[in-house]
Amino acid sequence: MTTQPAITLDRLNVSFGDSHVVKDLSFEVRPGESYGIVGESGSGKSTVLRVLAGLNRDWSGDVAILGQPQPKIRNKAFHRAVQMVFQDPYGSLHPKKTVDDALAEPLMIHGIRDAEGRIGRAMADVGLPASFRFRYPHQLSGGQRQRVAIARALVLEPTILLLDEPTSALDVSIQAEVLNLLQTLRHERKLTYILVSHDLAVVAHMCERLLVMQFGRGVEEMTAATLAARSPKTAYAQQLLTASEGFRRKAG
Amino acid sequence: MRAPDTPTEQPLLELDNLRVNFHTATGIVRAVRGLSFTLGRERLGIVGESGSGKSMTGRAILDLIPHPGEVLADRMVYRGQDLLTMDKRTRRKLRGRHISMVMQDPKFSLNPVQTVGEQIAEAYRVHHKASAREAKQRSLAMLEQVQIREPGRVYELYPHEVSGGMGQRVMIAMMLIAEPDILIADEPTSALDVTVQLQILKILDDLVTQRGMGLIFISHDLHLVQSFCDRVIVMYGGKAMETLPAAELADETARSRRHPYTLGLLGCLPDLDHPKAKLATLTRDPAWLA
Amino acid sequence: MGDSPLTNWTDYLITDSPSSRRQARLGQFYRQWLAFKRNRLAMLGLGIVVALLLVAAFAPLIATADPLAQNLDKRLLPPSLVNFFGTDSLGRDIFSRIVFGTRVTLVIVILVVITVGPVGLLIGAASGYLGGWVDRLLMRITDVFLAFPRLVLALAFVAALGPGLENAVIAIAITAWPPYARVARAETLIIRQQDYIAAVRLQGASQWRIVWKHVVPMCLPSLIVRTTLDMAGIILTAAGLGFLGLGAQPPIPEWGAMISAGREQIFDQWWVATFPGLAICIVALGFNLLGDGLRDVMDAR
Repeated sequence: MTTQPAITLDRLNVSFGDSHVVKDLSFEVRPGESYGIVGESGSGKSTVLRVLAGLNRDWSGDVAILGQPQPKIRNKAFHRAVQMVFQDPYGSLHPKKTVDDALAEPLMIHGIRDAEGRIGRAMADVGLPASFRFRYPHQLSGGQRQRVAIARALVLEPTILLLDEPTSALDVSIQAEVLNLLQTLRHERKLTYILVSHDLAVVAHMCERLLVMQFGRGVEEMTAATLAARSPKTAYAQQLLTASEGFRRKAG
Repeated sequence: MRAPDTPTEQPLLELDNLRVNFHTATGIVRAVRGLSFTLGRERLGIVGESGSGKSMTGRAILDLIPHPGEVLADRMVYRGQDLLTMDKRTRRKLRGRHISMVMQDPKFSLNPVQTVGEQIAEAYRVHHKASAREAKQRSLAMLEQVQIREPGRVYELYPHEVSGGMGQRVMIAMMLIAEPDILIADEPTSALDVTVQLQILKILDDLVTQRGMGLIFISHDLHLVQSFCDRVIVMYGGKAMETLPAAELADETARSRRHPYTLGLLGCLPDLDHPKAKLATLTRDPAWLA
Repeated sequence: MGDSPLTNWTDYLITDSPSSRRQARLGQFYRQWLAFKRNRLAMLGLGIVVALLLVAAFAPLIATADPLAQNLDKRLLPPSLVNFFGTDSLGRDIFSRIVFGTRVTLVIVILVVITVGPVGLLIGAASGYLGGWVDRLLMRITDVFLAFPRLVLALAFVAALGPGLENAVIAIAITAWPPYARVARAETLIIRQQDYIAAVRLQGASQWRIVWKHVVPMCLPSLIVRTTLDMAGIILTAAGLGFLGLGAQPPIPEWGAMISAGREQIFDQWWVATFPGLAICIVALGFNLLGDGLRDVMDAR
């Protein structure tokens, strides 16, 4: 008997009006695993994440988190178990709320005491100095904002973190810091990640397994090692890999 | 066929000690502090992180620095014509006709209430005396040149009806119809998917090799610049850290000659071939800006 | 420390790392004030509004005569050192009436603000965030109100409720909220798409909490700005109702009613209608400039 998967997705379909953006998608993520989803825009990769997060309700199929089948409208236990980090650190923090407000809000919603201690710890965990606690987002850099967003996701002590292109809006040097932070947190807290990205190198660095998506379908599931060895089976995955290597002038 | 590197030929653009300053309430912000380079008929990459002054450099050349910014330079010469002493009108005529720019997001650069074709034709007629019919002919030809399959159909589309990659091609067509000598491309492909990105680069590449245009390619993406450009200027804090042949960026044997900032940037990228448990982070040395 | 208390305060306010919630809020406010202060026209507007408040507060001290005291021997006297702005057809001192009129104007302004702003904001935010049938119902009601010209609708309400200052205010308030609801709804539709709203949804916040604590604060600045800009219109509507005899009733010194009373003498005794008219102009202008300045400061995100 193997352990129960952290996330199970079975025949997920998502439609917005006439457009069918996710088609019969199924995958499983084991507890403590980091699972990548890659694809180009319109592949439906972000939509999958929003369905898992309960932010999108136009879906059909089966979604189970930690063995619990999930209804369209999630309960409080779900929100404590699953949190998300968004792509744009400039859009994911409320412009009129300080770091303290952002971190205190989830604690207040869930009636958790010891807000002081938890906020302090969450900030320390993501490497934010305590002096930043009462700053507004406009007083923070992009990397610092993303740290706040990660702290906000962690303050409820979830077991699953959904990462939607968490570093694509950041400079490469800041990206390295944030990716390192995410790695450390994952190992310290035994977190399960789903990382959505268009950057194959980032996914290979962060994840053990990954799924390549195109036009709403899962094209190929592979291990990071397969990716690094440049040996995906499908033509599309191969094409994506080649394109990510940079520009090539045809000889002659 | 590569662009000929002909040092004997007059350079397209010469820039000496370019400075861009912003006078704000809290003091002077120095966005570019003393940048010098010459541009021939080549692909010159400018890489850097946000705030490195790379975009400001492109805008300064076109005289597009917004208020309260000022542009200073010891020398700024376009094919023998001094841009600094040139009157505003001549400078404006030069812009678009001889020096053009493609920005990151076509959505913000196209007029939403005019078809893309009309906009291209108009761009042509601003700089050339031509009948409406002739301008349309030229525009259709230009759309074809940027690899748009059905130019006739696309001509009639409004900007919101075209995809990101198509929009960027339209922008390029619009900028190129005047046949400029210099194209400044500021992150032209950053908003696009990788496969589309490569198609756009192919178009730009052909323009340099076939028409002998000078291209300034501004980007944050080291891999891309390395694979696409001839020469690269690495900028940090408004200064050029170093200028080097693009091929040397990837060259392991040339590491010892590299500036520590360049090495730092390269080091913090995750790499498929060299997996590492922890990515290197950049330590910035204040001495670089001294 | 030896530092003057003033610099200490400034340091406390502009520090990059405030140490408490209150300090952060005050600092934010102070920075906006600094930006506002640089705008001369906005400062002029603020000056006019502050002057209006002061004149209203100290009206009995500023006025040179009882605004209601009639003296038929001194009818329609031109401006002089005794009666700065002259006297009206009942021999009342126009200057004193204008001074006391600030109170009437302020009452109108304040009553309208406390009713219109919150009502419009909540209806708009709820409508925009909840969507569905709530949205359709609320917006159709809004449309009904928007379909009539404001003054005509206000006239109808006053006619139904009976003339008087309170009823005029109610009528203005009833007719003024729909544009606010529209603006708030439009903003909410944008705000609800933002990732920071998705983030609180993901934390399990109730819809009411999201609207009240996360959407409303984002709509607030533009609403405050709009209210201030609209103030001129509200004052003019009140004056219009007063002019038509449907607003404040005699002998209350309401500016619109004063102009109305002076219209018969407008060619021979110009001061009777001119000075209340100027007062309306200046106050309306003041609110307008203030609103413009606030927009520049508060909408900058």
